[in-house]
Amino acid sequence: MAEPLSPKSFESNDPIAWCPGCGNFGIREAVKLALSELGLKPEQTCFVSGIGQAAKAPHYIRCNLFNGLHGRTLPVAAGVKLANPDLVVFAEGGDGDGYAEGGNHFLHALRRNLDMSYLVHDNQIYGLTKGQTSPTSEAGMKTRTTPCGAIEPAFRPLALAVMMDAGFVARGFCGRPRQLADIIKLAVQHRGFSLVEILQNCVSFNHVNTAKWYSHRIYDLAEEKHDPTDRDKAYHKALEWGDRIPFGVIYKSSRKSYDELLGDTIGSRPSDSDRVPAVLDRLLDQFS
Amino acid sequence: MSDLHRPTGAAEVNLIITGRAGQGLQVISRTLGRMLVRAGYHVFVSQDVMSRIRGGHNFARVRVSNVPVAADGDKAQVLVALDPALVARHVPDLAEDAVVVAEAAADLPEGLNPILIPLADLAREHGEDPVMANAAAVGATLALVGLDLDGTEEMFESQFASKGKDVVKRNVAAAEAGFRAVAVDQKRCCQHRLPSLGTVPERGLSPERLLISGAEALALGAIAAGVRVVTAYPMSPATPIVEYCFRHAQEAGLIVEQTEDEVSAANLAIGAAFAGARSMVCTAGGGFCLMNEALSLAGMTETPLVLCVGMRPGPATGLATRTEQADLLFSIYAGHGEFPRAVLTPADAGQAFLAAQDAFRIADKYQTPAIILFDQFMADALWTVERNVLKVDNRQEPALSEPRQEERFFDSPGSLRMTDGAASRTGRQERQVPEGLEPYSYRRYEMSESGVSPMLLPGAPQQLVYADSDEHTEEGHITESAAMRLLMVDKRNAKLAGIRQELGAPKVEVEVEVEAKTLVFCFGSSRGVVSEALVRLRARGHSVAMVHLDHVWPFPAGAVAGLVAKDKKVVTVEQNFSGQLAQLLSQECGVRAAGTVRRYDGRQFTVAEVEAGLEELVGAKVG
Repeated sequence: MAEPLSPKSFESNDPIAWCPGCGNFGIREAVKLALSELGLKPEQTCFVSGIGQAAKAPHYIRCNLFNGLHGRTLPVAAGVKLANPDLVVFAEGGDGDGYAEGGNHFLHALRRNLDMSYLVHDNQIYGLTKGQTSPTSEAGMKTRTTPCGAIEPAFRPLALAVMMDAGFVARGFCGRPRQLADIIKLAVQHRGFSLVEILQNCVSFNHVNTAKWYSHRIYDLAEEKHDPTDRDKAYHKALEWGDRIPFGVIYKSSRKSYDELLGDTIGSRPSDSDRVPAVLDRLLDQFS
Repeated sequence: MSDLHRPTGAAEVNLIITGRAGQGLQVISRTLGRMLVRAGYHVFVSQDVMSRIRGGHNFARVRVSNVPVAADGDKAQVLVALDPALVARHVPDLAEDAVVVAEAAADLPEGLNPILIPLADLAREHGEDPVMANAAAVGATLALVGLDLDGTEEMFESQFASKGKDVVKRNVAAAEAGFRAVAVDQKRCCQHRLPSLGTVPERGLSPERLLISGAEALALGAIAAGVRVVTAYPMSPATPIVEYCFRHAQEAGLIVEQTEDEVSAANLAIGAAFAGARSMVCTAGGGFCLMNEALSLAGMTETPLVLCVGMRPGPATGLATRTEQADLLFSIYAGHGEFPRAVLTPADAGQAFLAAQDAFRIADKYQTPAIILFDQFMADALWTVERNVLKVDNRQEPALSEPRQEERFFDSPGSLRMTDGAASRTGRQERQVPEGLEPYSYRRYEMSESGVSPMLLPGAPQQLVYADSDEHTEEGHITESAAMRLLMVDKRNAKLAGIRQELGAPKVEVEVEVEAKTLVFCFGSSRGVVSEALVRLRARGHSVAMVHLDHVWPFPAGAVAGLVAKDKKVVTVEQNFSGQLAQLLSQECGVRAAGTVRRYDGRQFTVAEVEAGLEELVGAKVG
């Protein structure tokens, strides 16, 4: 086997448009590390993203890329994976893209369990549109669209994922790229839908949940010997938020992935496209 | 086309089969229809269905003729009622000497000619299930029109093979009982004997003729085109297309996905198409509303996408199971921003089969969305189609006007046909990286005169593919450059000229009448009705010809302008309120329609109605 490519060789030459100090840089480091250590070539991967600062991330990595519409990341990624199962498929975007605009797709992607990794950059605020509330903004948080403080409680995507028996559920932090890379590698290696929620600071619009704020609260699940196959415990860990915030692998399901089950239910598809005229003749016979 | 003339000796019998939802009316009309086609007749079946699962009032019209038919007939000679209470509603549809087959006399209106047959009892007795009243009705009808029971068993076998031998046997027994119940009464038997097949050149058993619905023909056309991924959220009238694909997914090698909503259906199909699978999404007008954003995405990212859009009366939920042609302008203008698209409007099952292949060819070649716009009537009707019309289109793509070196790998739409090219499990088409392309130098949106860029798929060795919904550079990265914006807008929209050329001129269906004083324009499923109405008008001395548009976008403006000489009168026939085709004619080629025959109550035009409507318009000036 050839030498794995260096993390640096996964850097694209597209000029980066993020704010200096943005948490996205740490996530990019982690993605580069993970791709390199997984021994992948850029052309073996396909990143699908929507709209938002996080959704620009695939432009800054050397990979195949479909940068689609706001919130529509997961359906496009599902189409890519179904059409070409050989590609290592990533969906990548922010909390607004995935949990607000794409909420219904998120729910059904968890249910469908197609083999792909979903990286969510969660900074609890809208960046691209300049500082509006997000589904993961804490209740009471003041933003441009919640001047008196957010009324709704924050969405807890990880708890939802555990409830849905999602394939692989984990949390990382942009300030710990090494650990995040390891989590991403596990997510890719898991056959099924892998949700990697990434805590991320927003230097421009979120002055509450700063990098420091997260650093003081996070703790590593591995150090607590958390068993990710224990769904009850996983559910509690997924809901834990406040003074202590866990990161690492929260839950792993033994569910088969959609692609495996698809093969089980209707069998393998014909690979020979020359068969079409014969199939067509047979099908047309049924109308005579 | 000659098949639309009514030759001398043309004759027909019209039947109505009426009942409640859940009584198996579609089984009767299809079984009977296929048996009649096998016997050498031309059959046309239309469905009038309420949006409910049980009860209500549904009916099918079955027209049987010795010459081709592509519209409902006038008055019916036979009414088969699975529920006698429904007979009264059909009295206006019946010919004077019509026969009514019904269960009991109690609910029947006065002055009818009923044959009382205890269909449910026969079904219970011979088929061990009252629902087989529908099979008994098939048998009774066969006797009434003078056919025998030959081939009944074979037909039920073909219809119900998956339900097991016992079901077939009981259906046959019920049909035989129904047949005997009519046949014992010699006077009644053969009362509406079918016309002689003498005028039909290829009389007798015709394995080369099929009875197929528009929806099934669309699905089969897509299969012929090598579709690999089909997506949908169920919505009438597109659901039968998807259900057909689901049923045959394995043997046809399809991945069929019912998604959480239409937004997902369209985006999933785009993702699959980006990764190289020929992809199709099926929906109705309302679902298409939800897909507008994705339509625009396919235009911007230059992703080949085929959309089957079924029209039903709107706005909003409208009449869910009925027909209309009011999404004509919507389909042309849907989606934000400006991008090229094709909108095809097939008339019938035969055209639908071919339109599906055209749509894939155009979508692939021009890397942009292609819409097949149809309506409920066309999708649910059963059409008699000569099998040799349903051909796999193996056309190699003609070179674009500016042949370039890169065409080596973007002419692969040709090789996307079933003939060559390795395909993966999902039929993904491998597009070859051209020799001499430096590693990692591929530009997805490379400029070209035709607007079409070489298309590689993600996964190509040592190349990367970037697709972007933002305005982008030739590589596919985000840009806000004004100069690049201009180049990209021009590039994308340049493709329309190629599509226009490819789709060609609309058909003037009646060539001999090209000198006609009045041209009647229509699109989609109106063709059969209009064509027959014109035959009648010509017989009364009117100088009329039909122009049926089998595609409406890019609008064939040049061709239409060429047809419409100065002294010609133009009218349209269309199933909408505002005369959308007339608007399009005016806007795209400055042709002002002198009038429009419209219908928008959710029911298909009848021939008589179009005839009367046109006579008024045509007679005004020309007559």
